[in-house]
Amino acid sequence: MRGVAVIGVGVTKFGKHERTCAELFAEAAADAIQDAGVSPRAIQAIYYGNVVGGEGEHQLHMGPQAASVLGLPTIPTTRFETACATSHAAFRHAVMEVAAGVSDVLLVGGAERVLNLPTDAATEYFTYASDATFEQPAGMTFPGVFALIARAHMAKYGTTEEQMAHVAVKNHRHGALNPKAQFQKEITLEQVMKSAKIADPLKLYDCCPFTDGAAAVVVVSEEVARKSRKPVWVRASAAASDSMFLHDKKDLSRVLATERAAQAAYRQAGCGPEDVDVVELHDCFTIAEIVATEGLGFFEPGTGGIAAEKGWTSLGGKLPVNPSGGLKAKGHPIGATGAAQIAEIVTQLRREAGPRQVDGAKVGLVHTLGGNTATVLVSLLASE
Amino acid sequence: MNKVVTLKAFFEEARAGRLTAIRCGRCGELAIPPKEFCPACQERAWDPVPLDGHGTIASFTVIRVPPRGHAEEAPYAVAVVRLDEGVSLLGRILDIPLDALKVGMPVRFRPLIRDEQTVIAFGPA
Ligand SMILES: [Zn+2]
Repeated sequence: MRGVAVIGVGVTKFGKHERTCAELFAEAAADAIQDAGVSPRAIQAIYYGNVVGGEGEHQLHMGPQAASVLGLPTIPTTRFETACATSHAAFRHAVMEVAAGVSDVLLVGGAERVLNLPTDAATEYFTYASDATFEQPAGMTFPGVFALIARAHMAKYGTTEEQMAHVAVKNHRHGALNPKAQFQKEITLEQVMKSAKIADPLKLYDCCPFTDGAAAVVVVSEEVARKSRKPVWVRASAAASDSMFLHDKKDLSRVLATERAAQAAYRQAGCGPEDVDVVELHDCFTIAEIVATEGLGFFEPGTGGIAAEKGWTSLGGKLPVNPSGGLKAKGHPIGATGAAQIAEIVTQLRREAGPRQVDGAKVGLVHTLGGNTATVLVSLLASE
Repeated sequence: MNKVVTLKAFFEEARAGRLTAIRCGRCGELAIPPKEFCPACQERAWDPVPLDGHGTIASFTVIRVPPRGHAEEAPYAVAVVRLDEGVSLLGRILDIPLDALKVGMPVRFRPLIRDEQTVIAFGPA
């Protein structure tokens, strides 16, 4: 298999936008192509991620629409959807296509727009990514899914609501350093603890926001990468799944798909969790970050809450997690999230992250979780 | 012989107050239908097994921000219940005060019937 690299990234400001998904994607994609220093005509295919555009914009067949707005209507496109892991899944397929020698230059990314919708409608559309036969009729929501995980983790390990709150405080502190973040404001532990209950034990500040935004990256072969400014190498890109039904999960305190995807990624890259310098992981809810830091092998099962409390995952700590602010503060435009996480790690490994730069970062891990924990993608990127 | 339990059949039984699981004819794995292959051993030889509906709460939450269509019901509790036979089932909690809920609390299945729809639910044991 050939070497594969990312040579260009583009991310819109995250927050509320008065533009369609296709317009948002086109901005991020044009930025990524210009950052890569390749001609727009060099792009051989576009892998586009979006989740609720069908419901929110009444738009299907959205790949060609996005390419048309980008001004590259003749490039083949495919739309990906794996809930919140959408554009990371698109990235993995692009990596495989380039590694296999089928293509040399691909554009991958995604967009989402939901802040123009009523909150109950957005909540409902997101819920479509959980099981429609048992769970939606019971009135389940995404905060509800992670609340079940939180309660199980608390019961098994003694994880506390304060420890979860530390994740929110830390990610807001990081987000304050990111000019693209939806929230660039620090918050206190007390604010988190006193925020409104959403799905007990999760409170408002345990939850990521609804977000509009887009992100894109340019994925190329080693030969193309060697001629570029600062290539970042893809050492692994792995996917794993678990049952779509919460009732099939034997231990709600773990996310097995994270553990399996991480093992596969470490095996592909020939390294382990001890080799990772910086992490962007899927903190859709504070408990999700705690469980992910355990599942990715950084901390023993049950100790992710302690790691958050002790500041080990802060910028300046032993393993900085979510220097971008994470989904919590940077925002979570679900179809764009995976590509935005990859863009952040590329920026970190190029040493271009400014005040949120992780010193000496050479190896970065990206973890993206889809929906009710049924889909997980893990990629490992390296500066050399 | 493989006896498929469809979702329609599962929920028609549930509406009448009866829960049905399926047991693998090869490895004995107990599962909630519908499934074709056994996730544990990949055999395709299920037999329907009645469940008695008793179990304990494995985890629960109180939904305070509901999706569209559930607004009048909120706040309401949803739990994953570990049934005595070993499988779990997610459902609504009925007739138990929200602040009394605890992991490990015994509960018992009962259907929540809303017009044509049948929702899995659990009440006091
Ligand atoms: Zn079996």
